[in-house]
Amino acid sequence: MNTSLLLIIPLAGFAVSALLATVSRRTMGIGKAVAIAGFTVVAIVAMAARQEINFTVTGSAIPGWTIQFGLTNLSWYFVLMIAAITWLTTFFSLGALRDGKTYPMFYAWLFAKTFGMIGVLLARDLLTFFILWEIMSWATYFLMQQGTDTARRASTSYLVYAIAASMILFAGVIFLYRASGSYDFTRVAATVAGFETGTLITTVVLLLVPMLIESAVYPAHWWLPPAYANTETGITAYLAGISTRIGVYGVVIFLFTVFGPGTMAKLSVGYHLNLQVIIMALAAFTMVVPTFTALFQHDAKQLMTWHSIGQGGYMLMGIATASSLGVAGGLFHVFNHMAYVSLIVFSIAAVEYRTGTTNLNSLGGLIKKQPVAFLGLLFGIIGLAGIPPMNGFVSKWLVYRSLILGGYPFLALAAFIATLGTILSVYKLIHNMFLGQLPERYNEVKEVGFLMQLPIWILMATVLVTGIFPGLILGWVAQIQISLGLEPIAYTLTGVSPTVGQLNMGVITSVFAATFVLAALIFFAGGRRRHVSQYNNYAAGHFVTKEVKYNFNYNFYSAFDHIFEHRFHNPPVKRGEGALVALLERASEFARRIYTGRLNTYLAYSLAAVVLAVVILKEVL
Amino acid sequence: MNSVNTGIQLVVWIIAYPFIAFTVGVFMGGYGRKFTARLQRRVGPSWVQPFFDVIKLMRKRTNISHGYMHDVAMMMLVGGTIMTLYFIPVPGFTYFAQYGDFLVIAYLILVPSLGMALGVGETANPNGSIGIARALQMLAGYEVPFVLTFIGMAMLNGTTSMLDLVRIQQSGGMATWGIVTNPLLGIAAVMALQGMMNEKPFEVIVAPHEIATGPMTEMGGKYLGMMFIQHLINLFVETTIYINLFLGGAQNWVELIVKQFILFTLILSVNGVFGRFRTDDAVRFMWKVPLPLAALGVVGIMLGIG
Repeated sequence: MNTSLLLIIPLAGFAVSALLATVSRRTMGIGKAVAIAGFTVVAIVAMAARQEINFTVTGSAIPGWTIQFGLTNLSWYFVLMIAAITWLTTFFSLGALRDGKTYPMFYAWLFAKTFGMIGVLLARDLLTFFILWEIMSWATYFLMQQGTDTARRASTSYLVYAIAASMILFAGVIFLYRASGSYDFTRVAATVAGFETGTLITTVVLLLVPMLIESAVYPAHWWLPPAYANTETGITAYLAGISTRIGVYGVVIFLFTVFGPGTMAKLSVGYHLNLQVIIMALAAFTMVVPTFTALFQHDAKQLMTWHSIGQGGYMLMGIATASSLGVAGGLFHVFNHMAYVSLIVFSIAAVEYRTGTTNLNSLGGLIKKQPVAFLGLLFGIIGLAGIPPMNGFVSKWLVYRSLILGGYPFLALAAFIATLGTILSVYKLIHNMFLGQLPERYNEVKEVGFLMQLPIWILMATVLVTGIFPGLILGWVAQIQISLGLEPIAYTLTGVSPTVGQLNMGVITSVFAATFVLAALIFFAGGRRRHVSQYNNYAAGHFVTKEVKYNFNYNFYSAFDHIFEHRFHNPPVKRGEGALVALLERASEFARRIYTGRLNTYLAYSLAAVVLAVVILKEVL
Repeated sequence: MNSVNTGIQLVVWIIAYPFIAFTVGVFMGGYGRKFTARLQRRVGPSWVQPFFDVIKLMRKRTNISHGYMHDVAMMMLVGGTIMTLYFIPVPGFTYFAQYGDFLVIAYLILVPSLGMALGVGETANPNGSIGIARALQMLAGYEVPFVLTFIGMAMLNGTTSMLDLVRIQQSGGMATWGIVTNPLLGIAAVMALQGMMNEKPFEVIVAPHEIATGPMTEMGGKYLGMMFIQHLINLFVETTIYINLFLGGAQNWVELIVKQFILFTLILSVNGVFGRFRTDDAVRFMWKVPLPLAALGVVGIMLGIG
């Protein structure tokens, strides 16, 4: 019952919201009420649906195809995350959306997108999966347009990638249907198990490539930053937090349910090169390259979207190890990433709401004006960088350990390099927004209201609590592993059990708190401190006044810029894309010459065609 | 009875360990100043001068604060360093080391850096911010080879626990020390350590003549005192990490301190004869010399296993 409600409510919500938006563009208040009510119900139903795991709804049978929906441990985990993040986004938007005219269909597309995503998660056969995948892609496209004019242009580039992905996926679905005579996951899996290598490679490529495009894996990641960063900021949080991760879900179900974990080792060329290594290498590039690209961004939202790509690399890496620790790390990272990325983007949105900009070169010193947003961003970046005691640390630790013990030292190093890049760029983010000199024009800036603060506080608590007690989430992850046929991770409430490794977040956090108190005692044992204005500052004997911009934020990592100059201004992927476009233009130019616009040319063509037809027909008959 | 005894011992260790580390740090800091002075034919200050510096700074009447993050940062700075200290196994005290492996330490060591970065950011001085930007870029420089050497050691011994690494290295005398079993990794790590300890030629962060002592620009009184305390404890932390990874750890405290001073002398000797690299050159060096060395060492380990 609940499983069906998960699909019915968003669909009904879409109809109502779309109707409201069509009737009048001034009914934002009603639209907001409907949206928050709808998503609250979705969240409650999602939580209640836990009892219905392994329950399948079978729809009416069309020849050759029975619609099947069902809830597995894996899909429930993702459904819960979607329900949570959608609820938070909606709640945040209650305060953040001021003008109904700008985003008339905001909630309608949010409902449609939720419907599509939950549908993809619940689908138990390939055709249903594909149809809902399409709905999801189109809803994403329209959702991305909820922003500036730039957003409308940028979303088109997403559409190109999404359509390409869908077409490949469709080919895969048809291919498997022809081979097995069914769309059902289990029956398809049985057929795939009997495939020979060549056929298997085709299947793997046709099914995995669309999933990798959707998760913005290097080198198919260029669509994401412009498409995500130009939308309304709440939507950026939603898209970066969970939307991209449907691709991760796809990778997991195809790898472990349809192909079976053994496939990765089976598909090997030569001694060491197999599918697993290829996926891992892609994951390593996805971690490192976008993270270092983020270093050089001048816009807070752009910077975060690049990180959102990079963090996907950790998930893919963990899942591709196919080991107990690695898969647990990858799946746990999906949750952690959702929590801290949306926390960071909400904090950025709070600043944008008051200052009207996310440009990292013009902000600064806002810590004194927006302490809650600062705290939110601080918790978020500690999670993103993976520093204890926040949750990102635990999942990264699991991935590292699985890589080191699995014998992949250079992949572990790549993961660590990405972490260092993350620390650098998130410090730039928090420094340029909240630290340094406060420009005079932001003297009147105030903290945002309760509606926008609540999601920030909730996510801060989530990031901290799941960091100290990772067992809360690892329990679900372990059940997913059991249902996927993997060895479940041996977890405890505060970490992993000693048989697996040495990690006890309870002890780490206690030591953290105790040493912090010790340091505070030393600090307060010293003399009284005096607060001074930001203009009371060292300036080599000169003095700082309100007219002087005494700040360092432009070109923050100049040494790295110096080192990477050539590589980043003309990256190989962009060059490849450019070459492809040039080739396409050449081909089009050649094709254009066929259409001369003169009648005698066309007559000649017709004559040639007739002659050709006669020749061919003569041969055939 | 025995468990009560160990319980009391544990409490005594937990309380005493930061003070022991601080005291050793004071002597190392003083030794460093003395050593450099003698290299330059100066007399140099007393061996316990850092201790007097800390007392003087903590008793200053003028303490300028630029905001609450500035204050909290000082606690993160010293607290984070002491926290890292607890997870490093030393002779007689390995209690916390069993709850966190090297990966935990590698991340905990970032907490003080982050604390300092946040605090310096709030002081709103561009010199400080430039110093932090340099510090973070240097971090990305030396941590990459250093972590790769650790990954190599972890693969070689099949564990990520520093406690186990020390045990394995002590099993066969000097022949099983990390620097003997895999010299390439040991050499790469000591180069990275030079950067980690912020000594010349990688001393780009403080750079008094360029950016007015960088992060310390707006730090005075007890703020500077806290930074001194952190620096001294950090001398202990960083040398002990290297000793535990490559020099066989230590079976007693005399051995540990002797090894620390020998290692520190090596670092100081290099420091004494070099000028300061530009930041990008310092980072490039880290990626061009220690990193390939460490990579070579790891490849050797992989081939040895396979």
